[in-house]
Amino acid sequence: MSSIRKRSRVVDVLLRVLPSVVIFALCLVAWELWVNIRDVPAYLYPSPSDIGKELRDEGLSLAVDDLRWTMTEAVLGFLLGSAVALFTGIVFVHAKFLERVFFPWAIVLQTVPIVAVAPLLTIWFGFTLTPKVLIAALICFFPVLVNATKGLRSISSQAVELMSILSASKWSLFWRVRIPSSLPYVFAGLKVASTLSVIGAIVAEFTGADRGIGFVIIQASYRLDTRLMFAGIALSSAAGVVFFNIIGALERLALRWPDARLDR
Amino acid sequence: MTSSGGIAIEGVSKQFGGSQGVTALDGIDLNISGGEFVAIVGPSGCGKSTLLRIVGGLLEPTSGHVYVGGKTSGQARRDVEFGFVFQQPTLFPWLRVLGNVLLPDRVLGRRNPNNGPNSKDIAQELLRDVGLEGFEDHYPGQISGGMQQRVALARALSYGPNTLLMDEPFGALDEFTRDRLNLQLLEVCNKTGSTVLFVTHSIQEAIFLADRVVMLSPRPGRITRVAEVPFPKPRTLEIRYEPGFAALAGELRGLLVGDDDIELAMNQP
Repeated sequence: MSSIRKRSRVVDVLLRVLPSVVIFALCLVAWELWVNIRDVPAYLYPSPSDIGKELRDEGLSLAVDDLRWTMTEAVLGFLLGSAVALFTGIVFVHAKFLERVFFPWAIVLQTVPIVAVAPLLTIWFGFTLTPKVLIAALICFFPVLVNATKGLRSISSQAVELMSILSASKWSLFWRVRIPSSLPYVFAGLKVASTLSVIGAIVAEFTGADRGIGFVIIQASYRLDTRLMFAGIALSSAAGVVFFNIIGALERLALRWPDARLDR
Repeated sequence: MTSSGGIAIEGVSKQFGGSQGVTALDGIDLNISGGEFVAIVGPSGCGKSTLLRIVGGLLEPTSGHVYVGGKTSGQARRDVEFGFVFQQPTLFPWLRVLGNVLLPDRVLGRRNPNNGPNSKDIAQELLRDVGLEGFEDHYPGQISGGMQQRVALARALSYGPNTLLMDEPFGALDEFTRDRLNLQLLEVCNKTGSTVLFVTHSIQEAIFLADRVVMLSPRPGRITRVAEVPFPKPRTLEIRYEPGFAALAGELRGLLVGDDDIELAMNQP
């Protein structure tokens, strides 16, 4: 009985993943055929098999030297931006006045194009880790802030009254009610931020770096080495997917009650 | 029956929105003795929930006073002498059923008279009393609305409050569930001897449960009638078919029809 159920769960997962895998494979096949039949120049559109060869030859050193660096920037930026956003959200929820004063600034931070800010930070901090982490943090800040604020506010007036009937302290209301109620929203924000952080790190690398996937892509573009560019794109997006799924797994661990996750 | 302190409501008025605002309650006087079950009935918007929140120390009256067991209602609230059951169950979805019933214990710590190594046993016994044995490990999202409201009742009783305040707790439930919960409520209250103030818009429910029924008129909320219910406790659902029950229900309904809320009164079950 249990083995049947277990197998059917594996089959379930396979069936759920299969369509997207098949469609992805079909796209690669179509691309490969198109490049071969139309005989397009390889320096413009390398075929998937060429990119595959590039990944086989260069993938390991790219991953060890550059992707590791880029993901370090992305993860540090994600942690910094999310932590500041959570703290700001907690402050906003407890002091409406501060929210009125500072929320417009948060919007400004979000609307400033990071491509324009990145070179500035590179001028200030040089070819170091700092500007990349800051850009990744900047891009993570807003989605986490908006979701955290909404989540911390998502408690009902009756829940507040219940805690008041129990003569609970503000602290108790915060830890026992506000924080758990906010978690589904916070995780929704963190998942968005996890994918954005990789983009932030790569954009920051474009403006001045001596290693990282962004650096590799921009260098390759000067040499019209499109195969290497595609290899970099494939690696970084794969890393982004992994990062997203790690946060998703943490979410599943933290939100165990029914209907807790917002995006299901 | 252990008798707990009564409630004295003295000239309570409540205005919302300043001097030009709405008068929700106007000069409410009511004495409730310890261990008594009093139901407040009135149409929507008559201020009955407001009155309940003033008694519970959640709202301040504009004028007048409420004393619970000799203390002001605010002091009684700070001393955790109230249990409150809301219109919605207001359970925390991340806590299991047992966790929700134990929430007051976790919040109160040593201030909970039932605190100690057996607080879990007390919670489990309460869940048994409301017919939820075996559901301790379910999440609120996995049980029905009626069961959720029973968990809320068990939670409100878990720390042995002297006074139970209930705000249309069974209003959202179907008739059969409501009947069953009414019986369980009477049983549990008989056991604990708590004073109960029960708000409802159902005259039938009020008469079935209460020792006295207080009728409230809307805008401004005033007491139009305080009726003694002549049926002894414990009660069974069958008393609803006795002539005295129907007569009292008809009489109280007549008070509502005198108002401009005829339609609402006609819709009463």
